[in-house]
Amino acid sequence: MNRKTKISLPEDQLVQAIRQKQRIGSEALYDMYSASLFGVIVRIIQDEELAQDLLQETFVKIWNSFDSYDEKKGRLFTWMVNVARNLSVDKVRSKDFRNNSKNQDIETSVVSIDEQRNTTLNPEVLGVKEMVENLKPEAKAVLDLIYFKGYTHVEAAEELGIPLGTVKTRVRLAIINLRKLFN
Amino acid sequence: MENIKAYIESGVLELYVLGDLSTDEKLEVERVLETYPELKTEVEEIEKALQGFAEAEAVEPKEALRSKILDSMNTGAAENDIPVLPITKPNSSFYKYAFAASVALLLLSLFALINLRSQLKDSHNQIAVLQQSNQKFTSRVNYVEKQLDETRQSLNIFHNPEQYKVVNLKGTPNAPTASIMVAFNPAKSEVMIDLASIKMPANDPSHQYQLWALVDGKPVDLGVFNAGNDTTGVLKMKSLAKAQAFAVTLEPKGGSINPTMEQMMAMGAI
Repeated sequence: MNRKTKISLPEDQLVQAIRQKQRIGSEALYDMYSASLFGVIVRIIQDEELAQDLLQETFVKIWNSFDSYDEKKGRLFTWMVNVARNLSVDKVRSKDFRNNSKNQDIETSVVSIDEQRNTTLNPEVLGVKEMVENLKPEAKAVLDLIYFKGYTHVEAAEELGIPLGTVKTRVRLAIINLRKLFN
Repeated sequence: MENIKAYIESGVLELYVLGDLSTDEKLEVERVLETYPELKTEVEEIEKALQGFAEAEAVEPKEALRSKILDSMNTGAAENDIPVLPITKPNSSFYKYAFAASVALLLLSLFALINLRSQLKDSHNQIAVLQQSNQKFTSRVNYVEKQLDETRQSLNIFHNPEQYKVVNLKGTPNAPTASIMVAFNPAKSEVMIDLASIKMPANDPSHQYQLWALVDGKPVDLGVFNAGNDTTGVLKMKSLAKAQAFAVTLEPKGGSINPTMEQMMAMGAI
């Protein structure tokens, strides 16, 4: 079922196409970023169907409130992933969600998602993923909490029982490691 | 440069990219980025790293989701988008026109009111004039009716010669040219003077003529009259059933009880 070609546009052209509400803009946006955004959403939400709803909600919000994106202040993906994370965190913290889902603890959740989905991972970055897994575990744990669980650094400090400064240092360390991998 | 290094090492830029700052802190970072462009490359590096991380951790959503989500995004400016019309401001101009219309209406009403008021005043004047002329006309009609009545009475005398005895009184040496006609109806005890027939010297305001009847040798008062002003109709005098002659004397105003024989002006026998 996988389509052979995915639409991809340079970021400036993509931004322009979205501003003009062109169909090509929405298709490219989805093809380029749906998997990355879904990866974040599904890890926070933990529920496949709900995560799909949230992905739709995220794209609709990105599409409709695109005026609030300012390319001078950062990359498109940075803005979008924060939209996705905020919507997901709001959902997770809403009353009806807390009442309906069995809470899993953090360590198992990320792992379980990855175990369930090992076949759907982007093959091009498989090698990279292994390298990510090899990051300093304590640094990655903090980044996972923030990036894939929607914690603030203050909440992460409380969760892990470590000082706020240490959380910040570990986040920075984790990202420095990522920079070595991706930049 | 020490400060910039410390700023970078504080980890605040990572939290900025992660969206994990309060609004104030976020604005502060943006202000610092404006001031130190070299920090922007640092932010870009962090963004790229996190994007790469997300790509590495990407999870492909179900294929079917793609068209569903794309359909919920409102695309196709040409076919789907309702053209955004510039919103005209109806309010300001509407109230402006409404105000102008109100003022115009007010002025029009005032003008009409003043106009009506003056018309009403004119009407009142006309009514007053009409009433005045109506009064004049009524009194004129009354006067004419009275005259007509008197004329009828005098005509009556001539129409009924068998009932009325017409007596011509001739002037005495006191007034040789004087004459007066008296009509006498013994059946109705009526004595009348034909005013048109009075040819007597005009009396002054302190004197009046007095008519007498001679009944069996005695003078009987029949009332006073003036000579000169009223010349139409008849003047009804006091009642009398029997007489042999009539006489007129000039007496002080109001008349006397007995005739002043020296002032006898006219007399005539039946």
